[in-house]
Amino acid sequence: MTNILFKSKEVEKVVGSSSENPNYNFGIVKAFAVCAVVYLVVGALVGDIIAWQLSFPALNLNEYLSFGRLRPLHTNAVIFAFGGCTLMATAFYVVQRTCAVPLWSNRMAWFTFWGWNLVIVAAVISFPMGWTQGKEYAELEWPVDILIAVVWLSYMFNFIMTIANRKTSHIYVANWFFLGMMVMITYLHVVNSLAIPVTMTKSYSIFSGVHDAMIQWWWGHNAVGFFLTAGFLGIMYYFIPKQADLPIFSYRLSVLHFWALMFGYVWLGAHHLQYTALPDWAGSLGAAVSIAMIIPSWGGAINGLMTLSGAWSKLRDDYVLRFLVVSLAFYAMSTFEGPVMSLKTVNALSHYTDWTIGHVHSGALGWVAMVSIGAIYHLVTRLWKTDIHSVPLVNSHFWIHTIGTVIYICAMWVSGIMQGLMWRATDDYGNLVYSFAETVVAMHPYYVLRSVGGLLVLLGALIMLYNIVMTIRGAGQPKAVAAQAARA
Amino acid sequence: MNKLLEYFETDWEAMTRADWTGLIIVLVLTLLMVALYVWIFKPSNRDKFEQYRDFVNSDEDVKREVGHGQTK
Repeated sequence: MTNILFKSKEVEKVVGSSSENPNYNFGIVKAFAVCAVVYLVVGALVGDIIAWQLSFPALNLNEYLSFGRLRPLHTNAVIFAFGGCTLMATAFYVVQRTCAVPLWSNRMAWFTFWGWNLVIVAAVISFPMGWTQGKEYAELEWPVDILIAVVWLSYMFNFIMTIANRKTSHIYVANWFFLGMMVMITYLHVVNSLAIPVTMTKSYSIFSGVHDAMIQWWWGHNAVGFFLTAGFLGIMYYFIPKQADLPIFSYRLSVLHFWALMFGYVWLGAHHLQYTALPDWAGSLGAAVSIAMIIPSWGGAINGLMTLSGAWSKLRDDYVLRFLVVSLAFYAMSTFEGPVMSLKTVNALSHYTDWTIGHVHSGALGWVAMVSIGAIYHLVTRLWKTDIHSVPLVNSHFWIHTIGTVIYICAMWVSGIMQGLMWRATDDYGNLVYSFAETVVAMHPYYVLRSVGGLLVLLGALIMLYNIVMTIRGAGQPKAVAAQAARA
Repeated sequence: MNKLLEYFETDWEAMTRADWTGLIIVLVLTLLMVALYVWIFKPSNRDKFEQYRDFVNSDEDVKREVGHGQTK
């Protein structure tokens, strides 16, 4: 694996490009793509371990490997390690292809690569040790927060400068989404991470009380909205038309999608704090804007799906498109479910229950993971200029991942709604019908089912890792070269 | 009807500077969103946007972009 990464540092010429033949740096894209697959396996593994720990608490072997310490490791591994590497691989690939210029600075790109991996190593060490700020999706302590800011700025600066040097007058909409994500995540991360250090491994937020809660969820929901949505929409707007070899259904809709997302998403965080000390109007505003966001979200999903209008037969043979299109179905579903859950009436039932976990994973496993997996399969065959090692394995991955995701989210929906209904059930005298322990017992079968769903997702990720390693190992061998030449 | 009016009743005297700031930002963004919808869906702007529909499928051939509105 190390050889693959070092070898990939070479700057490559693009086959089939114009006479100008820009020396694109695809080495960095390869490195991030391989890391993304490895981190998908790690994130899914830790996720499934903690799912089994919830089902069978005896599996909490010691404090270092307890649920409380492994849970942030899981969320950080899947969001920032897997998701982050996918975003960096695809953004660096798309910006070069659509601007017809190489990256502005290869050195800076490799700084971003090693810096980001250093952040991930820091997470792997610090979470089991219990070093955390206690802020969801922003658990890393202050020295790592500073490192994240520096590395992220290097990523953004390189991206901006590449766009500034472009040979095309138009900036393709996928780059807008990537850049929107980069700008928003910069200030969200910096503001939310403002803290007073006490030691190297302990700090306290400069915010307190309800302000701290509001800042935390302003960051928390926008980590979803910009890191896990805007960036991955950039992936969608490049890879779906590219893979389908069709024009995007409506470019106007994509522009509308972008601006509506940028204007709207930052207001949603308050809907995480319904029925708390947060002023009532702030929660209402969060819910109202959440509902309004269905329009651009569905517009974007329809835009992606309708790109295949008249060419749905491609799904029969194209294993990459299958991942990309199903991801859009999950995107549409979770961007409808989220706003509904933000409404106070629904939120009164759903909040603090497993329904939220089901919702998050329909977005994470269904939308983010599937669009990423599709993009990575697309990238691997093109970057290493070879065919995929095994199409049947990709097809197996698709079905195993889809079935695992559906089992997971259905288990959590049923468990969560049942949990909420049991918590609020009262008898004729107004007494609670169920004790908290009784709700935990009732949820146990669904927790086991969730663990099984997660195990399937992990199995799919392992199949993908094997398939991609074999594809890369086979690249450049006589058989692969002959196949490529025959196709050309 | 009275209940509806009561629901929307606002004590303007009690509005703080933060309330006014938030209200103005929301109104400005709402107007910008309306302007955005008009700009995007104005029939005369259709071709201006839609010429880029096939942009990604021509990224391997820069020459093809000449006359396509994309090359400097």
